[in-house]
Amino acid sequence: MDLLLQTLVNGLVVGSGYAVIAVGLTLVFGILGIVNFAHGAFYALGAYAVFLALSVGVPYLVALPIAVAVVVAVGFLIELSIVRRSLYGVGNHGSLIVTFALAQVLMALMLLIAGPDPHPVRSPFGQSNLEVFGLMVAGQRVFILLVSVAVLSAFGLWLQRSVRGQQITAVAQNPRGALYSGINVPMIRTISFMLGVGAAGLAGGLLAPITTVFPTMGNGSLITSFIVVILGGMGSISGAMLGALLIGLANALFETYVSVQWTPALGWVLVIAILLFAPQGLRGKAQLDRY
Amino acid sequence: MSSTRAFRINGAHLIVAWLLVIAAFGTLVSNPFVVTLAGYTSAFALFALSINVMLGGLGEVPLGQCVFFGLGAYAAAIGMKSFGLPFELALLIAMAVSVAAAAVIGALTLKLTGAYFSIVSWGLTGVVLVAAMNLEHVTGGPLGIFGFPTITFAGVDLSEPRGYFLVCAVLLVATVVVLAAVRDSRFGAAIESVRQNPHLARSMGVDVFRQRLKAFMLSAPIAAMAGALCIPYTQIVTPEVFAVSNTVDALLMVLLGGSRLLVGPVIGAMIFSIIPYFFNMDPNVRILIFSSAIILIMIFAPGGLHQLMSAVADRFTGGRRAPSGI
Repeated sequence: MDLLLQTLVNGLVVGSGYAVIAVGLTLVFGILGIVNFAHGAFYALGAYAVFLALSVGVPYLVALPIAVAVVVAVGFLIELSIVRRSLYGVGNHGSLIVTFALAQVLMALMLLIAGPDPHPVRSPFGQSNLEVFGLMVAGQRVFILLVSVAVLSAFGLWLQRSVRGQQITAVAQNPRGALYSGINVPMIRTISFMLGVGAAGLAGGLLAPITTVFPTMGNGSLITSFIVVILGGMGSISGAMLGALLIGLANALFETYVSVQWTPALGWVLVIAILLFAPQGLRGKAQLDRY
Repeated sequence: MSSTRAFRINGAHLIVAWLLVIAAFGTLVSNPFVVTLAGYTSAFALFALSINVMLGGLGEVPLGQCVFFGLGAYAAAIGMKSFGLPFELALLIAMAVSVAAAAVIGALTLKLTGAYFSIVSWGLTGVVLVAAMNLEHVTGGPLGIFGFPTITFAGVDLSEPRGYFLVCAVLLVATVVVLAAVRDSRFGAAIESVRQNPHLARSMGVDVFRQRLKAFMLSAPIAAMAGALCIPYTQIVTPEVFAVSNTVDALLMVLLGGSRLLVGPVIGAMIFSIIPYFFNMDPNVRILIFSSAIILIMIFAPGGLHQLMSAVADRFTGGRRAPSGI
């Protein structure tokens, strides 16, 4: 019983980390219609920014917002120079290749600048373990849980209550209609892209103390976010959160009771099953082109 | 290309010219490193051709094509190592295995299109990679399979650079000939109609799913052949053959050369390996430069270098530029 409870807690805590990564991916897809294969590279960029800030003596809690700012700035430049020029309204075939190539560029840059070796990242919560009702949880994981709940609920409220948030929702639903209603669609798209990659950068900074930092770290997280987002339904934010928790739980249970070695394959088997039998996911709209 | 010329260049002439170039390269170039690199480039160009069957042919981005590349390498390696088969037979078995795998994978995943297909096919590489790591009694686990006896193909010793190059290059030409025949066939026309407009194709009586599955099953053995032909070069097969970086390399080759041209992937493969060799480029610098090139090409000339060249040629000859994009 203790083992089961501990596994469930681990799963939920890991899943909250997935949620932050996946929300950025689903946001960019839902609003811009872009399947962002560079999402994992922005995640790695956030982790590297935290690592570099720490190495010049900045404390972790300050380094985290700096990292998010850096990733948002890079995202802004990329939106202006590449995404805006070529990706809106061309369907996901072209956007797939460009974002994939962009991911390769960013990853190669990180490899050349920082080298291929993984670097440990220290956080003030890294060493401690919390014990709640006899269940052990690593301090950093609790921090991730708290930050992700805070950020995601703040974001959800902002999207629902603020004028800007409503404009974003409008562009997601119907860009042309939004344009005719006087909404500055290009600006909303830029903001949405920056928000999406910013979430990836935040997740990278949050998870860096657990996973260590290395240039290809984005691949694994991108795959996890795809799994989460497809499970939740592409473009649905609540679906992504639900999907993240479910995947976290499923991974933890599989790891504990079946096999650690085969866990990386589990998510994909789930995704293929979902795409085949329930392609709209948990909360998404059915909009798949199928033959 | 006016058809009134007395001597028209056709496919047969090009193939003869190509074979002559291969023969000249094989006999005149003596630097063993260059010849081996040319052989490996030919083998990898086969993989790029396989990817282009999906990308240029069907309009899908097969991020998981390295599944078949790896299956080919593993099947050939296991055939030679565990069953003592000759390389030719192991190669054929590897291709047959990959066709069977493509039938199963395609039946499951080809209902999906666009990004969904790409994501799932990429995901499969993860599953296969994990399987190759864990099924140690079959695949040798993380260490892989190595220590092959001398590999020969039709009596040609593949451990010798010249022999390796000639076999790879001739198989490459043969594959291009087969693909050209497929392109001009009824099946090729059906595939092209599916790529351009699947809904219209279906209304004209083309079974879209069936044609997509056939194209997928055509692409798989080419990738498997490429994987098996890389063994004489690498001398080892590890789970790394399933790594997505292999697909990235081949995809860059296709996009550099242009996916709308049958030999585009071959041209791309040559650019991709010759330029880094002359500039002594680090593999990461290579990825950086070529990926940046891809982004620029996709912004300015989505049809690849081939389209860029013809656009430049049109400028000079005053030809009208085709409307770009629809």
